[in-house]
Amino acid sequence: MKDLPYELWEPVIGLEIHAQLNTRSKLFSPAPNHFGDEPNTNISFVCTGQPGALPVINKEAVRKAVQFGVAIGASISRFSTFDRKSYFYPDSPRNFQITQFENPLIRGGTVAADVEGQSKTFRVNRAHIEDDAGMLKHFTNFAGVDYNRAGAPLIEIVSEPCIHSPKEASSYAAAIRAILLYLDACDGNMEEGSLRMDANISVRPKGETALRPRVEIKNMNSFSFLEMAIEAEVSRQIALYITHPHRSPIELIPPGTYRWDAEAKQTVLMRAKESADDYRYFPEPDLAPLILSEEYIDSIRDALPELPHNRFKRYVSDLGLTEYAASVLINEKALSDYFEAANAIANNPRLLCNWITVEFTGRLKDKGQTLLSLGIPPEHVAKLVQMIDQGKITGRIAKDVADEMVAAPGTDPETIVKNNPDYQPLEDTGSIEPLVDQVLAENPQSVADFKAGRDKAFAFLVGQVMKLTRGKASPQVVNDLLKRKIR
Amino acid sequence: MKEMHRLSAVELRDAFLKGETTALAIANHYLKRIEAYGSSLGAFLKVLGPRVLLQAEALDKKRAQGKPLGKLAGVPVAIKDNMHIAGETTTCGSKFLENYKAPFDATAVRCLESEDALLIGKTNLDEFAMGSSNENSAYFPAHNPWNLKRVPGGSSGGSAAAVAARLALLATGSDTGGSIRQPASLCGVVGFKPTYGRVSRYGLVAFGSSLDQIGPFATTVADAALAMETMGRPCPHDSTCLDLPKEHYKLTRDLTDVKIGIPNRFLENLKPEVQKNFLDAVDILRALGARTVEVDLDVLKYSIAVYYILATAEASTNLARFDGVRYGVRSPSAKTLDQVYDLSRKDGFGREVKKRIMLGTYVLSAGFQDAYYKKAQKIRTLILEAFEKAYETCDAVVMPVATSGAFEAGAIHDPVEMYLQDIFTVPANLAGLPAISVPSGYDGEGMPLGIQIIGPQMCDVSVMSYAYAYEQATKWGRIPPAFLDGGAS
Amino acid sequence: MMCKYFMAHFDKDTLLHLKKLCRIDLDAEEEEDILKSLKRVLEYVDQLDEVKAEKTRPCNHVMNGMARNRWREDVPEELLSRELFLGNAPDQIAGMVRVPPVLKPQ
Repeated sequence: MKDLPYELWEPVIGLEIHAQLNTRSKLFSPAPNHFGDEPNTNISFVCTGQPGALPVINKEAVRKAVQFGVAIGASISRFSTFDRKSYFYPDSPRNFQITQFENPLIRGGTVAADVEGQSKTFRVNRAHIEDDAGMLKHFTNFAGVDYNRAGAPLIEIVSEPCIHSPKEASSYAAAIRAILLYLDACDGNMEEGSLRMDANISVRPKGETALRPRVEIKNMNSFSFLEMAIEAEVSRQIALYITHPHRSPIELIPPGTYRWDAEAKQTVLMRAKESADDYRYFPEPDLAPLILSEEYIDSIRDALPELPHNRFKRYVSDLGLTEYAASVLINEKALSDYFEAANAIANNPRLLCNWITVEFTGRLKDKGQTLLSLGIPPEHVAKLVQMIDQGKITGRIAKDVADEMVAAPGTDPETIVKNNPDYQPLEDTGSIEPLVDQVLAENPQSVADFKAGRDKAFAFLVGQVMKLTRGKASPQVVNDLLKRKIR
Repeated sequence: MKEMHRLSAVELRDAFLKGETTALAIANHYLKRIEAYGSSLGAFLKVLGPRVLLQAEALDKKRAQGKPLGKLAGVPVAIKDNMHIAGETTTCGSKFLENYKAPFDATAVRCLESEDALLIGKTNLDEFAMGSSNENSAYFPAHNPWNLKRVPGGSSGGSAAAVAARLALLATGSDTGGSIRQPASLCGVVGFKPTYGRVSRYGLVAFGSSLDQIGPFATTVADAALAMETMGRPCPHDSTCLDLPKEHYKLTRDLTDVKIGIPNRFLENLKPEVQKNFLDAVDILRALGARTVEVDLDVLKYSIAVYYILATAEASTNLARFDGVRYGVRSPSAKTLDQVYDLSRKDGFGREVKKRIMLGTYVLSAGFQDAYYKKAQKIRTLILEAFEKAYETCDAVVMPVATSGAFEAGAIHDPVEMYLQDIFTVPANLAGLPAISVPSGYDGEGMPLGIQIIGPQMCDVSVMSYAYAYEQATKWGRIPPAFLDGGAS
Repeated sequence: MMCKYFMAHFDKDTLLHLKKLCRIDLDAEEEEDILKSLKRVLEYVDQLDEVKAEKTRPCNHVMNGMARNRWREDVPEELLSRELFLGNAPDQIAGMVRVPPVLKPQ
């Protein structure tokens, strides 16, 4: 597979992202909008399709959707309408979905995302609101339907086919997710299905502008699955074109809908387009058109919180973080907020970022936890960094302290240090001085190098003393002693 | 006090308020009448015996305690069986919903009960409100109290028959293409369809969402007005319900300076009897002070075609929810999911319902939607505009209601001929206009005829008032001879 | 004459296609009767071809006064209990509505 000349081919990808808006009640039904409860306990007449029930739209869902549109600089339709989309399936309470086909709420818009160190701008084609289906649970001899999710408000965001690699796709999707998190419009919980992605994938020879037949992969809820599925499909298509150069594209790539099988790590055909549904869209007679004033839209624009890309720029230019570090932080709003809270105390963004995104993350990954879920408050991480900054503990000791913070979350690091004499930096000049003398005696060349102007030699000498004291010596004291003695 | 069933709703309510009778006595009287006459008429699918007796007891207690009583206190009201009374079955005249218990009250029902109406039963209808003769009920047909071999009209045939035979003094109906007005005309009672959105559709099983309205059947216009004052309220559960406060129906007998529009060309091919009856009615209106003007409503000749495209399209989606999954009767022979759908719907729906669902699906389907559905929507605009233009020169348009008196059961086989029964009523649904059918006499065979008054949107009170003036000058409404007695057969 | 063309092509195959879209099974007698009726109705509906309406806007909402947002506050309400909901269900299990097994995509 890898022998094929991929560099001559360009993947062309469009993503449709369905995000659940985190309103308290559903889109057209007043039932509670909440995940994880006992089946059929968050239902009402509307979302179970009872005869005689009628949809009434949730004003907050509209506001969140408009907020998203404004955040991506899209054009908000002053006049938008709803349509019925007909298809039969047990998870559909009415066997038609209420969506916006003809006149969506949002048109256009752009999303900036960092793709492996490079900043790229992606274009959104449209976005609209619609209601979600319930959940069908499959068992051997039957299927069970739970309507808790039926009627939940969804915003469907459709990109232009301007994505050209799996990494671009996941970066774009992560950026969309981040925006929704920052707006507090969606909880971004991928495992719970708060964000689902469909990819439309085709390839074409580089330089060609026309679009070739495409395949749809539906319902992916993880960025890594998204990348794998796209990669696999792109390879599959390129391989087909290359091995059958004389067959027509439509023959080789018949349109179809696939799903991603995470275990087999391949796409599986769900249905071919021949049996495509005729959705028979027509205007929803039970709903009035949505008519939004300029004032309404402006007031939402004025109240926008800081958006992820702006925060990203601020982290890089004002706080001096690398683009990579900044992107890791901003893609999880909770983490970024945590960082800001800690930085307000510690005021050392780079060191803090390292501790948050590398040191602690590394310790917590195996436990499947995060700093937040474990309950380590940002003040504690801030204090740890402060102690390093002020020379109260060495970097090495800080690592041990971090281990203890993770083992007993909520314990103040200052307390940990205070309670463990091993963590007190050795400040007793009397016990350090002989070791300094020893190092100086054993490394005459380094002493000479340093006197000749090589600062690196000094760091080496410091390191040697620290080694002898097993990292416990106060760096400040070692520095002072060495400087005094070398003069 | 006259025999209870010879009173109007207003008179009975007043008698009750004055203490001349008790709610329990009223309930029992009407239950006895239903027992005697009910099965021959086929008007009721369900009699709410125990429920109404409890209601009556509670109402009597309320009065004894000196508590304030509602505007419909003691009035027996029948509810068409496509509207919900919580806890009772709503069958929609279909086998599909034989066992379906309504989980909530329709807003209109709530309104009636809040004014202390006694809900006496659920009335028969054409299945899912699709029909003009009540011959399409999956249970049994309803009959015309003036001649049991003839149809009462449809789809609200049961409600019309119940009120005409005085088995209830008020009844609710639903009107999508004439389903209140046509049976009212055929049964010789008053039937009123409000402006679209005046009465909440919450709790009414939808047929044609942009056309459906709930309205009253009554023995007098004043009674219908009372019912409208009660049911015409804003409702937060229905996005199409107008945000208007309730209206007070002031009724006058004088039509001086009222301009009545007559679409002569549209009414060119009336049956001679119907034409004579219509012209006589117009004469009365003139005698009351009204002036008549000619109006151009030629475009209405396309109404039936437009209606049967739009109503069936909406219905095909409204009835998609009946699939045997969440409620209703699931076919016992269904072994796979596909069979749950295909067989439940095969068994559960009657022939006419199937036809309309398929027609509606067809006119929305890929490749046909422009030619049918979208075209019909455009002509609907033309119909709206034609009425708007007509109302520049008149206050109300007058037309017959039905093309003839009630026909014999089984007489009409051609679907188009059956659909054409609605030719005069459908336009008001397409344009969302308030319209009333008032008894205007009898045909050569003694079957009732009606006159229709149609007003501009939101002029419900005026329409009711013009009808009142006509009614008071003519008083055609009477009890069919077979139903004059209390409860003896 | 768009309608006439389509009507002439409304045949058994069209009906079979509609059966699938509507999810209604029919026996032979029903098919005959429905086919005949629908052809008859479509023939009648043909007359709409006479009307020139290219420039006319379709009427999606009959009440002009409706051109105003009808929305509600985001307040959850627990109106339908599971018990009441499942009380009408033809088949249920463990709090869910039960249906025959649904073939997973192959």
